Order: sequence, then C-alpha cells, then structure tokens
Amino acid sequence: MRKILLALVIVGLVVGVGFAQDKVTIRLAGYSGDTPLMQDVLVRFVEDKIPGVEVVWEPITEDFLAFVLRTLSAGTAPDIFYVDLYWAETVAKTGLVQPLDEYMADSEILSKENLIPVLVDAYTVDGKLYAVSKDFNSLVIFYNKDMFDAMGVAYPSNDDTLATFLDKIVRVYNSREWYGACLNADAARFLPFAFAAGMPFLEEDGSAPFDLAPAKYAADWYTTFNRLGISATSADIGAGWPGAAFINEQAAICIEGGWLIPPIRNENPTLNFGTAFLPTIWEGGPRGNYLFTCGYAMPTNPPSGRSDLVFKVIELITSPEVQTYILEAGHAIPSRVALLDSPYFQQEDSFAQATKTVFEATGLAGTLPFTFGEIGGGAYMGAIGEALTLIMQDEATVEEAMNDAAVKLDLE
Amino acid sequence: MKRRGEWVSAFIFLLPLLFTLAVAFLYAFVRTVYFSFTDYNLFQITKFVGFDNYTKLLADYRFVLALTHSLVYAGIVTASQTFLALMLAIVLNQKIRGLTFFRASYYVPCIASSVAITTIFIWLMNRRGTVNWLLTAIGRYWPFIITGLALIVLVQCLQVFWERRHGLPARVLDPALFGISLLIGVVGTVILGRLGVVQPYPMAEAAIPWLTTRQTFLGIPYPLVSIMMLNIWTTTPTFMILFLAGLQDVPQELYEVAEMDGATPWQKLLHVTVPALRPVLFLVVTLGLIGTIQMFDQVAIMAGTAPLESTVTLAYYVYWNMFGAGTLPKVGLASAAALVLAVLTLFVVFIQRRVGFSEKGWYS
Repeated sequence: MRKILLALVIVGLVVGVGFAQDKVTIRLAGYSGDTPLMQDVLVRFVEDKIPGVEVVWEPITEDFLAFVLRTLSAGTAPDIFYVDLYWAETVAKTGLVQPLDEYMADSEILSKENLIPVLVDAYTVDGKLYAVSKDFNSLVIFYNKDMFDAMGVAYPSNDDTLATFLDKIVRVYNSREWYGACLNADAARFLPFAFAAGMPFLEEDGSAPFDLAPAKYAADWYTTFNRLGISATSADIGAGWPGAAFINEQAAICIEGGWLIPPIRNENPTLNFGTAFLPTIWEGGPRGNYLFTCGYAMPTNPPSGRSDLVFKVIELITSPEVQTYILEAGHAIPSRVALLDSPYFQQEDSFAQATKTVFEATGLAGTLPFTFGEIGGGAYMGAIGEALTLIMQDEATVEEAMNDAAVKLDLE
Repeated sequence: MKRRGEWVSAFIFLLPLLFTLAVAFLYAFVRTVYFSFTDYNLFQITKFVGFDNYTKLLADYRFVLALTHSLVYAGIVTASQTFLALMLAIVLNQKIRGLTFFRASYYVPCIASSVAITTIFIWLMNRRGTVNWLLTAIGRYWPFIITGLALIVLVQCLQVFWERRHGLPARVLDPALFGISLLIGVVGTVILGRLGVVQPYPMAEAAIPWLTTRQTFLGIPYPLVSIMMLNIWTTTPTFMILFLAGLQDVPQELYEVAEMDGATPWQKLLHVTVPALRPVLFLVVTLGLIGTIQMFDQVAIMAGTAPLESTVTLAYYVYWNMFGAGTLPKVGLASAAALVLAVLTLFVVFIQRRVGFSEKGWYS
C-alpha cells in the first residue's frame, strides 16, 4: 500500500511539474554589465505582461561576438540576443538570424516608422532588417568645468576647431594636478577625425587609406596631445579607461559617449562637468563622429519555438515606457522617434544636458555608423590602433606608422 | 577466465572516462584535423582545400611571430620558474622561524584568480606604475646605494681584520660585526648625502611603456617580457610545492655522507638534491613546457593594452582567427594552427624527455 501511495505521489509530482513547465521560456542574452538594468526592466515592464511567457535574462561575460557565433552555429543561440552594430553584418551574413521586416510590418507597437531612420538603416543588410536598435550613442567631449575655471581657460565649445581645441587643452594642463586630456590610442576615437579630414573608408581600388594625407593629418593632430605630454593614456595613469580618469579628476577632458553618464552619476555625482561636440577640422568645416548602437535580434530557430512570442518580448523591451524609463535613469538614448522630444532633454542638470549633446551629435552631418562591413573591425582598428600607439610613444613618425598600418591592412 | 573477468571489470570502470575522452578529445581532434584541410566559417558547407591552410600559415607573418614567441616564452619561463621554484623549496625546507607564513605568502599568487593577478600586474607595469617608479628610484639613487655598500664592505673588512689581529676567530660574514657595519654604512651614507658629498644622479623619470611598446629586450618585445615575469611569478609557487614534497623524500643520510666527504652546500645541491629530485624535475619541466607553450589567458587579458604583434602566441593566434577579428571565423586556418600547436607541444616534451630530465629516479 505504501509503495502504491509513493508511486502516486511521484506521478503527481511529475504531472505537476509538467503543468508548471507549460510556460514558454524565452531566453534573453546580453552584456553582463546590463544585468541590474535588464532585470529591473523585466520585472517592471515584462513580467506577467504576456500570458504563459517567462523571460529569463542570461548575462554573458565572454566575448559577445564569440558567444553569438558559437551558439548560432551550434543551434543553441538564445531567443533574443544583443547585436552590436560593430559586428551586425557578420552575424546577419550567417543566415541564421531572422529578418524582422514582416513582424514589424504587422506590429502596431513596433514598426520601422517608430524608430529613428538611421538606426533602421544601420541594421539593414541586403534590404532586410536584422535587429531592433534598443538605444544609441555618439562621441562628445566631456570636460571638467572646475579645471577649466581654475586655469582661466574657456570651456570647449561646439564651435571649436582642431586648432582651438588643442590650444585649450594645452592651457588647461596643470603639470602638478591633472592632465589636459586622457586619450588612448583608440581607433574608435581617432577615426571620426580622420574621416572628417577627408580619409575614405577604403581607397577606390580597395586598398587601405591610412597612408593618405588626410589620415596622416588627423593622426598627427590626435597624437600631439600625448607627444606634448599634456595628455596621458588611461593605462599610463592607472585608470581602467579614459572615462575613469575623467571621473577620478585626473584629466580635464575625455572623448566618450553617453555610457559615461551613469558611471559619473554613481561614482562622482558632484562632478562639475559639461559636454561639447567633437571639434571641426577647420572653422565651419566638416565634423566627424560615430553612431554606436546595440539592438535585439532573434535566431531563425529560437529555442522556445515561438518566434511570434519572441517578437512580442522585443516589442515590450523596446516599448516607449521602457525607453522612457531607461532615458530618465540616464542609461541610454532611446531609439524611438516619439521620444526625441522627451521633456528630459529640456532639464538643466549636467546629466540631462550631456544626454542631449550626445543625442544632438548623432544627428550632425558626418556621423557614420560604427561598422566595418566584411573587412572586420579587428583588422582595421588593430592596424590603426598600433600606429597611434607607436606615434604616441615616439617609436615611429606619423609618416612611418601610418604607411606601416596601410601595409598591414592590405596584407589581411 | 578470472583474468578476463578482471579485464572486463576494469574496462567497465574505465568506460566513463574513455567515453569522455572519446567525445571531448578524440572526436574533437579528428574534427580539427578534418577542418584544417577545409575552408569553413562555421556557417557554410566545408570545402576541401588540401594543404592551403598550412601554406597560408607559413606565409602569415603573425603565425611566424606567434611560433617564435611561444618557443622563446616556453624556454625562458620554464627554465626560470623551475630554477626559482627549486631554490624557494630548498629555502623553505629549512627549519626557519615563520616557515608557515613564508610558505603561505609565496603561494598566494597561485590561488588568486588569473584575471585579478593580471589586472594588478597591468597596474604595476603602467608607464607611471610601481615598476617604473622603482627603476627611477634605483637610477637616481644608485650613488647612495654604491656608497652604502662600499662603506659596509669597508667597515666589515676593518672589523674582521681587527678581530683576527687580536687572535679572535672572526668569520668574514660574522652576523654581529655585520650588524655594526650595516649601521655605520647607512648612517655614513646619510651623513655624506647631507654634506652633499654624494648626490642623486640626475636621471629623467623612467617611463618604459612595458605593455604598449614594440621595443624589444634581447629581441623579445617588452610586453611579452612583462607577461613572462607575470607567469613566472604566478606559477613558481605551485612548482615550489611539488619540489617541497619531493625534498621530504630525499634521505637525510645522503647529506650526512656528503658532508663527511667534505661537500660544499653547492656540491650537495648539484650531486644530491638535484639527482634525487629527478622525477619531480621531470614533472615540473613537462608541466611547465605544456603550460607555457599553450599559454593564452594572460595574452588575452593584455590584448586590449599591448600591440598584438608584441604578445601574440600560438594559442592566441588560434583564438584570433576564430573570434578575434570581428569577422566570420577562419576555422580552417585556426584548426591548422591548433594542430601545429599540438604537434609542437608533443615534440618539445619528447625532446625534453630525451635530452633533459627523465622521470627515472636517481637510484636507477
């Protein structure tokens, strides 16, 4: 009798678990650094909103592109995963990511028209949209007002040229207290200046453009700060990245995007700072910038087997409510057109103003999507990053380093 | 019949491990060999290309660099960590005060996470980090150091000479006399410094970009030298523990016999300790070679800081071709490089076994 009872209990439990698992589980994978924000968003805006659906956040600590390629090829990719514009084309070309055009055409909440056009274009490969941009960013000058005041130097402004900006950094440098700038040999910071100066992405014959005069002109300017000793790299001064050096008040300026705003708010909320556009090449001349964005994509065969529900989750996590919440928390700039007139942008505090500058910088002429197509950012940025390092350390002249970088990219 | 039964039992017990090996190693190995002869990016149909990937490897300057770096790295790091581990083990095998503390202290780098240790190391090796600060201090204050040392030697010699002249059996390094020499040396240097007789050397601040330069030291890029130092520091303690265990087994009688024969400490080390530790030496050198030839994590962590060409090793070259370039993986090329790495590892260990230390003990 006992055995029969025990068997009944076990059967009951198994059936119970079976019913309990009737829910569709949708896996959402993203950068581990987004964990607090995404968990918050899921609890506030997604939980219980779609009957029978449970969304599970999977923070990824490894190289994210490696994770995406590995899981896509193995057929174990999560239902929704981040796609950085930097490598979006690589992922789209695998043929294992679902185009979202049809879902968006049928959706009343999330259509292409709801999103900022440049963000739709950024994720469109061969005429198909492969990801929904969740937010975007561009580069601006973050400056420490107190340091400029202390040295009696005018703040960086939207009207600065390469020459006037350099002059301000020379004068704000305080050899005992702080560096004028914290600039790394970072291609993502340098290339907007090179493109603005007239460097093409590639030459017409497909060869590397780094040995062209505009590239060398921009490289000479970008590395002058460190060569003069008025700027240091973040590694030189023990900061993890230039943003950290700015937050720690080791440098008067840095070139970063909106991602610097939450760390300032958390780590040095009383920092007296302002923001300005990147300088133009000459007065009234061209200005460069990069558009950075990250989106949500789904594989052709999501593990939940319910592409329709997966898209519903994407609708929810890119909804106006979620994007407003994220904007007002100072995390990112929304990708929806309707939120561009958000009252948040009209606030006078430094954080809201910084967000506004980043947003406005994205719309300026000369802002290019941060992508390298089929060449791959690794080779392109690696060659230029190494050249900048050598110039900054006086191990090569601008001429030698840039010619060498061109040869290296051509070898790839 | 009984033997057959034993064989079957043994096989059944081994089955889980054999299955794991077959799936995780044999299958993966066979697939890697297959992929190395194909053009494949994980998402297209494989295309047989013969030896193309191997010829591409030889033509790729980064592969040649990676191969050279791996071999140099393995040779220098294995030799250094083995020597240092043996010396540390011998010191910590003595009956000295605070032995447990020292053993624990030396072992700390081993138990800390590789990422944490590497991050600390990056901080130490900054252009304005502790290492450059020390170099600057030594460079500027070497006149004081030399003066201090000279005074200590001079006072010690005078004291020993004085004692012996009065018929006292003073040793050259007599601790009591050395204490006095040290005190006089330090005080004398401070006084000479105050009087301006000894002055700091006017040297500019050392700002060696240890982690970001393409400059070399004896042909080895500085960033790789930095990673070597880091690796030696973190792995030496593990091998020290192995040597310590080995030293416990060396019969004390051998040292007593050697002492009766008038052997010096150095002779005892060379002719008693080292031969007795041969099986441990074999283990340490073999593990060291395998670990260093396949070194990946520290290069990967430093990849954002150092130029690729200054740090690339074979293992990182494999990773770079799979996931590092922001493009679709070059599986064929990465597989060919992975096989070269595997064959190289086997070859180096084989050579070490034939030419270097074998696993046979001193008694054989």
